[in-house]
Amino acid sequence: MSDPGSQKAELEITAESEQVASSSEPAPARRRRSRSLAAESSVNMDELRELVQLINENDFNEFELEREGFRVRFRRGMEISEVARRELTAGGSATEPSPTLAPSHPGAKAQTEASEDQDLYIIPSPIVGTFYRAASPNSDSFVKIGSIVEADSVVCIIEAMKLMNEIQAETAGEVAKIYVENGQPVEYGQPLFGIRK
Amino acid sequence: MDFEHKMKPELRKFKKILIANRGEIACRIIWTCKEMGIRTVAVHSDVDRDSLHVRFADEAACIGPAPSAQSYLNIPAIISTAEIFNVDAIHPGYGFLAESSYFAEICAACNIKFIGPPANIIRLMGDKVEARRAMAEAGLPVLPGSPEPITSEAEGLKLAREIGFPVIVKAAAGGGGRGMRIVHTAEELGKALETASTEAAAAFKDGSVYIERYLQNPRHIEIQVLADEYGDCIHLGERECSIQRRHQKLLEEAPSPVLSPKLRNQMGAAAVAACKQLGYASAGTVEFLLDEDNKFYFMEMNTRIQVEHAVTEMVTLADIVRNQIRIAEGEPLGFTQDDLLIVGHAIECRVNAENPETFAPSPGLITAFNLPGGPGVRVDTYVYAGYRVPPFYDSMIAKVITHARTRELAIARMKRALEAMVIEGIKTTIPLHLKILDDPDFRAGKISTSFMEHFLKQNGTKVLKSESGVGALVG
Repeated sequence: MSDPGSQKAELEITAESEQVASSSEPAPARRRRSRSLAAESSVNMDELRELVQLINENDFNEFELEREGFRVRFRRGMEISEVARRELTAGGSATEPSPTLAPSHPGAKAQTEASEDQDLYIIPSPIVGTFYRAASPNSDSFVKIGSIVEADSVVCIIEAMKLMNEIQAETAGEVAKIYVENGQPVEYGQPLFGIRK
Repeated sequence: MDFEHKMKPELRKFKKILIANRGEIACRIIWTCKEMGIRTVAVHSDVDRDSLHVRFADEAACIGPAPSAQSYLNIPAIISTAEIFNVDAIHPGYGFLAESSYFAEICAACNIKFIGPPANIIRLMGDKVEARRAMAEAGLPVLPGSPEPITSEAEGLKLAREIGFPVIVKAAAGGGGRGMRIVHTAEELGKALETASTEAAAAFKDGSVYIERYLQNPRHIEIQVLADEYGDCIHLGERECSIQRRHQKLLEEAPSPVLSPKLRNQMGAAAVAACKQLGYASAGTVEFLLDEDNKFYFMEMNTRIQVEHAVTEMVTLADIVRNQIRIAEGEPLGFTQDDLLIVGHAIECRVNAENPETFAPSPGLITAFNLPGGPGVRVDTYVYAGYRVPPFYDSMIAKVITHARTRELAIARMKRALEAMVIEGIKTTIPLHLKILDDPDFRAGKISTSFMEHFLKQNGTKVLKSESGVGALVG
């Protein structure tokens, strides 16, 4: 969702007299606060420049400030369509379930990380179970970052129903990434290691 | 019929349940768990990542690739997930592992409660020959037939002559209409025994078949029972499931348009007595055939929640899934037969992703989807606009249930609900249901298990053709 490489930024300044279509706050609440429109509605550009600079320096992705008479919203690094979609679902659209409802998936984090490593050969978990990097709590890990493996090298153990299943690398190369921490549950297909061939 | 809402979630025995299923029934179970304050764990195959049951469960794990044998039937993967997530119980839904006594035993061995009856009863009812004998001993009327599997054509012929043609050859391990043959004359018997046995062996890895008298135009009437672990058992009335095509139910209703209160009590009491005799515990369904003289015969028992349970829930106000969970927690029933209330009439239409003319499966991307609503309409589904119906599993994508004061009103309600249900991108059986709802015999309640055969002959498939794009969104 958030793409730090993108320079696209969205700046939205809303004077009180304008309608804010996508605001999550109900309009009447805002209207109640508007008293002296003439005194507040002119935005000081210098102040705004300073504000934007402050936001940039602090590396914010999203910033919203509402004061009597004006509202400023700053946003960057997001595809507009993504933003729109999220607001749509948050508003109770029936077409797609809200992402906030998505359950905790053990493999979600590893999946996201591995998707960025296009150049690596990914060893996925063949079963659901618990991931162990060593044969026993006291022994050394099978592999570390930088270890050289053969196709038949054991890289980890996945315990399922009290059975220890040894997982092999299936390709020769160097261990470049380890996506799962020792003792964590893993699901079918979840990336475990990234191997540089 | 739910008297347990006094129970606070923190006092519940089950804190977390794993649902070993997919589709609408997995969602259905999640809804009740949410109401009971129980956390849920969804398991899914890698193609079901976007399925609603995965989205709405509290936790989820992918357990294997698309083929059921490697995912939804993969017992080690399911048990492993149950252990990782530390669940108290597993709800098997229907299909998949719901009637696997082996799975129930494994759950027990792993100290996880299987939400269903004891494993020995699942095994007994899974063997149709044994089930017939056990139920006959428990006092249920059965059709004349073979007490043991048929071993030779000569033996079959002798028996068939005794009970009189036509007879039906059925698979002992059967279900879903596979391994079944109707035999009208002695000459046909040999071949029927052979093909039924081959089919049964292929489908169930067990080729044993048996013979029973074949009723010409029976109704399929089933009794929903609830039994606790202390020997208490009641029934929730009947469901009429005569509208079937190739032994697959299409449309069900409750109550049956032909059952008198007296007959309902008789059938219900017989089912309850048999379940008590067996030591049954959990929700279950005793299926009967009802002949034209209103005589009923035990057919089989389903030891799980059924697809059509919703029509019973509508007319009795009971939550059957909730009761399954409560009973598995060890709670007593908490109500008696006198508490049974049957209010109005409910109908269910199964919406399948199938071509309504050819019944060929129609998986694919749902491009537009509108759920019907309004008074007395319930839809149990797991699909949405933008969802791709996978080709690997059952074709049923939604159940539309309507409830009204009378049968006539429930039919009218169903018609307008189906007309407002828009599913674009794939073909569904909605046009077929609309035709059935308009059929004069159906409207008059003159139905039997041969209804669909006559209906399809009479209507052909051309009438359905013009209506395959039913419903349109306005505005």
